[in-house]
Amino acid sequence: MLFGKDRKATKPDAIIQQLMRIVGQKEVLYLQEDLISYECDGYTMSKGMPKAVVFVNNTKQVSDVVKYLNKQGIPYIARGAGTGLSGGATPLGGEVLISLVRMKKMLHLDLENRKAVVEPGYINLKLTQSISDKGYYYAPDPSSQYACTIGGNVAENSGGAHCLKYGVTTNHILGLEVVLPTGEIIELGEDGVPDRPGYDLLGLLTGSEGTLGIVTKITVKVLKNPEAKKTVLAYFDDIADASQAVSEIIAAGIIPAALEMMDQIAIEGVESAAYPVGHPRDIAAFLLIEVDGVAAGIEDQIDEILTVCKDNQVREVKVARDEAERGLWWANRKMGFGAMGAISPDYLVQDGVIPRTRLPEVLTKIAEISKKYDLRIANIFHAGDGNLHPLILFDARIPGQSERASSAGSACLKVCADVGGSITGEHGVGIEKSDEMRFIFHDDEIEAQTKIRAVFNPDDRLNPGKLFPQPGRCVEVKQEMSKEGL
Amino acid sequence: MVSSHQDTDLCTEPEVLRTNNELGHPLGNGGEEFVDCYSEADISKTLAYAYETNRTVNIISGGTKRGYGGQIEQADILLSLKHYKGIVEHSVGDLTMTVRPGTTIKEITDELSPFGQCLALDPPWPEQATIGGVIAANDSGPKRLLYGSARDFVIGTRIVYADGRIIRTGGKVVKNVAGYDMNKLFIGSMGTLGVISEITLKLRPIPKYEGVSILHFQNGQEMAIRKFAVHLLDSMLEPVCLEVLTPSVAKKMTGKNQYALVIAFEDRERAVREQEKWIQEHIPKEAVLTIFHQHEASEWWGQFYHLGASRCNTTDDVKIQAALKIGSNNLDVLDNLQIACQLADDIGVYVEGHGGVGHGITKIFMEGFPEAFISFVELLRKKVEERHGYVLCTHLPFVLRQKISVWGDKPEHFFLLDGIKQVNDPKRILNRKRYVGGL
Ligand SMILES: Cc1cc2nc3c(=O)[nH]c(=O)nc-3n(C[C@H](O)[C@H](O)[C@H](O)COP(=O)(O)OP(=O)(O)OC[C@H]3O[C@@H](n4cnc5c(N)ncnc54)[C@H](O)[C@@H]3O)c2cc1C
Repeated sequence: MLFGKDRKATKPDAIIQQLMRIVGQKEVLYLQEDLISYECDGYTMSKGMPKAVVFVNNTKQVSDVVKYLNKQGIPYIARGAGTGLSGGATPLGGEVLISLVRMKKMLHLDLENRKAVVEPGYINLKLTQSISDKGYYYAPDPSSQYACTIGGNVAENSGGAHCLKYGVTTNHILGLEVVLPTGEIIELGEDGVPDRPGYDLLGLLTGSEGTLGIVTKITVKVLKNPEAKKTVLAYFDDIADASQAVSEIIAAGIIPAALEMMDQIAIEGVESAAYPVGHPRDIAAFLLIEVDGVAAGIEDQIDEILTVCKDNQVREVKVARDEAERGLWWANRKMGFGAMGAISPDYLVQDGVIPRTRLPEVLTKIAEISKKYDLRIANIFHAGDGNLHPLILFDARIPGQSERASSAGSACLKVCADVGGSITGEHGVGIEKSDEMRFIFHDDEIEAQTKIRAVFNPDDRLNPGKLFPQPGRCVEVKQEMSKEGL
Repeated sequence: MVSSHQDTDLCTEPEVLRTNNELGHPLGNGGEEFVDCYSEADISKTLAYAYETNRTVNIISGGTKRGYGGQIEQADILLSLKHYKGIVEHSVGDLTMTVRPGTTIKEITDELSPFGQCLALDPPWPEQATIGGVIAANDSGPKRLLYGSARDFVIGTRIVYADGRIIRTGGKVVKNVAGYDMNKLFIGSMGTLGVISEITLKLRPIPKYEGVSILHFQNGQEMAIRKFAVHLLDSMLEPVCLEVLTPSVAKKMTGKNQYALVIAFEDRERAVREQEKWIQEHIPKEAVLTIFHQHEASEWWGQFYHLGASRCNTTDDVKIQAALKIGSNNLDVLDNLQIACQLADDIGVYVEGHGGVGHGITKIFMEGFPEAFISFVELLRKKVEERHGYVLCTHLPFVLRQKISVWGDKPEHFFLLDGIKQVNDPKRILNRKRYVGGL
């Protein structure tokens, strides 16, 4: 690392100088030591050094930077808070990162029409905080919501604990302003008006992992707070009983706002972290169930949920006494991933999705994978919608463990794909899972998508090399999987 | 881009193709030859043949949307999906279902109800409208306020591309971000990007109890509707719809020739009643309230879903029937309905309309002379666009579609739409000129 006056030693090259002319001298990072923290996002298994980081302040600057980089033939990547978990904002090497964190204003709020317009760097949680006094909130609530940006959420089509009832980001986006890879600025869903004629580019852009355009303005739906919320915590001695309870709750015609599960290793983690609840350490799993809506309809549903839990040999089940207790349960749950740091030097989060009814079978298979690769796997999941987060615990200092963790992660995804599921429910494909796309799509289907990318991003200069398998590597993956007998 | 067809069979004419005797349909969108598809292979073979031999293909299913877009009276081939129907898979515990495109909404409802489940999509004409058509045209009903529209339910599809290849989009699980959300491209794209051959949908449990509250407002009290709707939207109530009816629709539905606000609740009985109590306590002095529950409520909806034009129910040679869809800011719905009624009076056409003040979609049905209708649409469009809304003609005889723009002006980003069309259907054989800007 370079310190003090040595920092000035490296002079900005012509490209950096031009970028500085567009956005301002202080708004460009280009020294090695400044770039180190931009080598990766929340997925740390793959790293690359960007050429520079440019902090843009408005749409025009984004457009000017893009136009200039295009002219120079330099690839670039949009970056929000960098909390992504699949390497979406991670450079392969030499890209310019366009950071949107300075574009963080709310531009417009229209509660009568239930919408808000924000810049892409606006922090997810801030939106709810800024309208909660008026009784409104923004529904998608990724566990990283205190840090991640709404622009990043749009790019990843992020979910959260409450998307079982309320849907994921795409169900809450009404309009976007986008800078295309040509530098052109377009508006989709102008003024948040629904169903505008023309192919649903709003839907296509959401979840495109920053490969089709850079989002510079977002119109989101805001919702009225439900009148009441009740939260149940249920401890099970057998994970199969917990899974059965999940199915029976849904079968009873209840759509809980959230229906989360954590297994024993995950509990060990969260109990060692910042918000311990005092969960018994010897249970196999707990369910965290929340019901919300009109108060008069909630009591019945809670009674039914308690009955289902009791019918399924629950050891203990309780309803949160007050907001403080409910808040603690949720803080404990939302710490989930981070908490793994308390029990393991490193961890890899996976994000498979399965049909809910296949849960017991898939958990058994994940346990087998854990044994086979000799790595502990904790499970935290959005059980209601079958979105699993196996957390593979490893120690990167021990040679070979990182690779083993990676293979174990891939094996978990294969299991999900094989039961008719998907390789990612909310974290995106990024760098991490691009080869695993072949677990669920065949070549023509992947090509159908890359051709759509080419309509927007013909030179793959915007966020290059992401999302889709590189032709050469697929063979290795297939070999690996067949070798493993998976 | 086109993959070469190893199977040379594909270039020979499918046996299923036959001459179409029904020529010159008043709604257009026909075909010289006709093929009834009974399988995905039929669709694929027909398209591969058409693609190789440069024939254009129009796609039809239930036919309720035959008058929706289209600048070509007859394509070379009319491909019907009406008989490609049925449930492929219903995974009860996962609340998902996979269906073929020709399955009607009613058939889906009937299949699901013994399991206590439903597809929360409520377009008009459920006995005729097929799921494929509803999705291709992105149709919806008043209850989208709470339940959402096609883009919120479709989790996967199988698409037969223009050259006959079968491409899957999405998957079978309710949460999935692997790759681009390609499902979205096909919803509302009017069959211009591929033929939907299978659809996987997210289901919901049937609500335990339902109620419909109808508030009738005396004429001239339209401001009171707005005020009440705003108050309601800011309350703890969770209505499934907040639909305003024009006096003409209200008259058909309730016998009263006045603006009405329809507020429906679907929840546990206690929750429904509690919310209805709120309405009773806050009812504006200008309004009269009627409430229906359960069986009566569903009958009321049954009648509602049969308003307006579905097929070519042309009354006589001179007067035509037409339908429009307006999209706007939620609360502009009320103004748009009033503007439509006012214009109809001025111009001398008959209109019926309803729109959701919580979701921004308004539907207008109209009967009148063609010339009057043209000025009606032009003037209405101008007014609606002033407030960033849009007007589409969802049902219009073929001759009139050549005089009025069905879709309005092209969006500024049209080049992207065109690029996508070019990728999926480079020879532009599928529903040619059916969509925005002649796509
Ligand atoms: C502890 C933890 C918990 C998490 N929990 C959840 C969870 O519960 N649910 C969930 O879904 N995710 C979760 N995530 C993942 C992550 O927070 C989300 O993917 C989030 O949306 C990323 O936002 P970001 O601002 O950090 O984006 P970044 O990581 O900066 O970028 C993510 C991707 O978006 C692109 N991008 C960013 N901004 C734009 C823009 N304006 N225009 C175009 N492309 C853009 C980037 O190029 C990149 O591909 C979690 C992450 C962590 C670290």
